[in-house]
Amino acid sequence: MAEYGPFEMIAYTGSRVLEDETIVFVGTGLPIIASMHAQLTHAPNLNMIFEAGSLGAVLEQGLPLSVGDTRAFRKAVYAKGLCGAFELTQRGYADYAFIGGAQIDKFGNINSHFEGGNYLKPGVRFPGSGGAGAMAANCEKTIAIMALEKRRFVERLDFVTSIGFGDGEPDYRRKAGVMGSGPYRVITNQALFGFDEETRRMTLLEVLPGKTAEDIQELVSFELLISPDLTDMKEPSEDDLKLLREECDPEGYFLKRKVAK
Amino acid sequence: MDKLMKSSDIRNITGLQPDEIKKKGQEPFEYWGPTPFEARKAAVAKEKGLHDKRTTLKEAVDKYIKDGINLGIGGFVNTRVPVAAIHEIIRKGVKDLTLSFQSQSLCAELLAGAMIIDPDHVSIKRVELAWWGYEVIGIAPLFRYLLSEEMIQLDDYTNYGMSVRFKAAAMGIPFIPTRDHGGSDMELVNRGRMIECPFTKEDVYLVPACHPDVGLVHVPVADMYGNSRIFGAHCTCPEIAVAAAHTIVTTEQIIPTDNIRKYPNLTEIPYPAVDALIEQPFGGYPGACYGYYWFDMPEFQEFRGISDEFRKTGNKDKLKEYYDKYIFGCETFDDFLATRSYDKLKELRQMDGVQPILID
Repeated sequence: MAEYGPFEMIAYTGSRVLEDETIVFVGTGLPIIASMHAQLTHAPNLNMIFEAGSLGAVLEQGLPLSVGDTRAFRKAVYAKGLCGAFELTQRGYADYAFIGGAQIDKFGNINSHFEGGNYLKPGVRFPGSGGAGAMAANCEKTIAIMALEKRRFVERLDFVTSIGFGDGEPDYRRKAGVMGSGPYRVITNQALFGFDEETRRMTLLEVLPGKTAEDIQELVSFELLISPDLTDMKEPSEDDLKLLREECDPEGYFLKRKVAK
Repeated sequence: MDKLMKSSDIRNITGLQPDEIKKKGQEPFEYWGPTPFEARKAAVAKEKGLHDKRTTLKEAVDKYIKDGINLGIGGFVNTRVPVAAIHEIIRKGVKDLTLSFQSQSLCAELLAGAMIIDPDHVSIKRVELAWWGYEVIGIAPLFRYLLSEEMIQLDDYTNYGMSVRFKAAAMGIPFIPTRDHGGSDMELVNRGRMIECPFTKEDVYLVPACHPDVGLVHVPVADMYGNSRIFGAHCTCPEIAVAAAHTIVTTEQIIPTDNIRKYPNLTEIPYPAVDALIEQPFGGYPGACYGYYWFDMPEFQEFRGISDEFRKTGNKDKLKEYYDKYIFGCETFDDFLATRSYDKLKELRQMDGVQPILID
């Protein structure tokens, strides 16, 4: 098997999760790389929305470093502003939200506002919602990329920025007035999670080859459900790695980052 | 109205404390800028003929930037951000600002840094926003500092929330329903309201219109009356320009009105919304402007590095040095650009990749 880094595994897994004939609303970094890889392999008719306002751009100038990067508008089929991007989404034309965050809970609610302290005097303040809150509300399915660490997979968030299944009650999202069906997948470099239909709780679907469900539970603060069909995560082939390294992120902006200790 | 107010009962799922959300529903709502009525009066009071709006940034800033105003900042993070106008505002100095934007990096950080250096010269009181950071380059150190020191008040929305607040204002309506914020803690801390839709009988979230006193927008091209075309991302610039009581537009290039009249569909900002127009090539630098230049990553990293060093050490010397050299030490934005090498600016033009734009 080819050698690969943690972010390459995340990007490859993200690509596998995306289906053809869909529209994905991408956040900066790995979501764009995953979507590019999907387009180059199994999903040639997958199209991206960038929140500054483009649909269906051709990323021939290289990886956009920001969702407002001019490169994210190259040869797009539609280019407006944020209202254009989010209104297509609110209307139902974005199948996937592809976002990140600092903390996630068992119902897929995500915090990207602050950690520690409180809202008025935060311990560590992050940039805020940006597009994430709106994407998680109104894209049909939410895919989140997270680092698999106990302090990130928490029992209780400091703040909910992006709505998941709320408190897990079946009508939570409907009462909140949001339109998307909610959390779909959570991608880490060691595990892929989904959500149980009955309880809406995070469920372990796949583990990195060599890891066990217990290993993953060790890194999560809340109790995971384990899929009865638990399998190994598929590893990227030499060809996949070549695409990721040479076509998607040749400068290594996101794929070659160091994993925080 | 109170009978219609609902909550999606999220408060039992996070650590958010009651004192953090008490303002919701207790303090009477007030716009943090002109009310829809005041904004309407400002529009009505304008001369509506086609007049040459060209001026200098110094004159525009002297005329429109006053203490206590709501300043709406156009662009998006590092794209088409009104850096030249921000430099001039910092040179002039202004206190008790309310900032409104969806997502910003350098423009907001520059104002924050000016406040840290001398709060008697520039100060920010509160910010209506969705996001404040540098994306791939990192978090915004001065934003983090201002919050940890409790120096500013925030009103948090999503990027759509802020964008559509400007849109509501541009539409001349006092609020607009959205399908987001509900069920997140933003529902509990921002100044929107959940209601039962009178038609569907389902919950829907309302956000208040946002009229800045002054909107700052940088565009690729405009005619001398202010009719502006925007290529690449529109961001929320058309909405901010129309929402604001007064709008200062900087443009890469002025084009003949005949060109505007040839393709009127391409006009994204119509002239009555523009009060001052300044031809300022590289006016968004070090941000990017589609069709003109890509963003200058090392420049962002340099200012962010200086800012982060201040946050970590509390030593303002380097920050102050930056402002003294590049803002207070310059008469105009052209003077600042002149401190950058021609080769660098040329390279940024090449990195844009000659994105096709229509200026005919």
